[in-house]
Amino acid sequence: MERLLRMTYHLCRLLLGGIFLYAGLTKSMDVTRFAGDIAAYRILPYQWNYLAAATLPYVEFMAGLLLVINRRVRPATLLLALLTLGFIAALGSVIYRGLDIDCGCFGAGSATPGQALWRDLGLLVLAHFTFHLRNRFVPSSSRNGIR
Amino acid sequence: MNRFLDYSELPRIILEAVVILCFGILVGLTLHFQLVREVLEGKLIAPPGQHPVATERVTTGYPEPVDLQSVRQQIAAGTLLVDARIEELYRQGHLPESVSLPLAEVESRLPKFREEHPLQTPIIVYCNGYGCPDSFDLAMRLLESGYRKVMVFEGGFPEWEGAGLPIEAGE
Repeated sequence: MERLLRMTYHLCRLLLGGIFLYAGLTKSMDVTRFAGDIAAYRILPYQWNYLAAATLPYVEFMAGLLLVINRRVRPATLLLALLTLGFIAALGSVIYRGLDIDCGCFGAGSATPGQALWRDLGLLVLAHFTFHLRNRFVPSSSRNGIR
Repeated sequence: MNRFLDYSELPRIILEAVVILCFGILVGLTLHFQLVREVLEGKLIAPPGQHPVATERVTTGYPEPVDLQSVRQQIAAGTLLVDARIEELYRQGHLPESVSLPLAEVESRLPKFREEHPLQTPIIVYCNGYGCPDSFDLAMRLLESGYRKVMVFEGGFPEWEGAGLPIEAGE
């Protein structure tokens, strides 16, 4: 049982980390285009779209990288879960307003808002398992420096 | 205690998450310093003929948003106002001296529009306010077709009318 949980933890961690590492990388390649994708959501004031596009991919990349290399797992997972909640709220508002846009999650032509919403719910599940299984393997009494 | 639900270290975890967030933001702002500077200085659209090659996509890719006060200044400076709403709404009332170019008819009417208004004409597009995407879409179409300075008045007709400014009706 313990072994199964450990494997599940590593699988969730690598999958979650890998997805955000890839997402951050593809979007950081062309932030102007990503700014256009964010602008299509019509949520942020215009200039903020550029600022979000210039920073968000690197936050995703950093947190994803930490998960893949198995360092600062819980903080990185918490951050990605909060980001995902934000994405879900944005996608929900897009669907509610009936905007037909590309989600911009992984650069060009990635998914419709509906598909992206389901994918983000899946990411939340991965984040949940990663965070809580990490708790099991590294309890608060541990001081080995790996969190 | 259930070790799955051990939140005793949550304050430190939150703090470290904030550090990761700040670090990522810092890296992004540093790597895209030029873009960020242009955004903060409001230079998303460079004056015609002054496009820096390295940032041409940034400076020409998207229309610049303008507020009511800027719209009034731009009108005084001779900027062309374009109404992206349907013809019927335009006839009921529009901003003074604006021309009608409904988004739905842009493909058929754009050739004539281009004949009447040269590509260097600065343009402000508006429609029915913040909930209306047509002005942004039309502005993107105008940029694609070669216009170099295209802005979007996001407050649109409702904000203009709400400010008690004059409105024209008819063709």
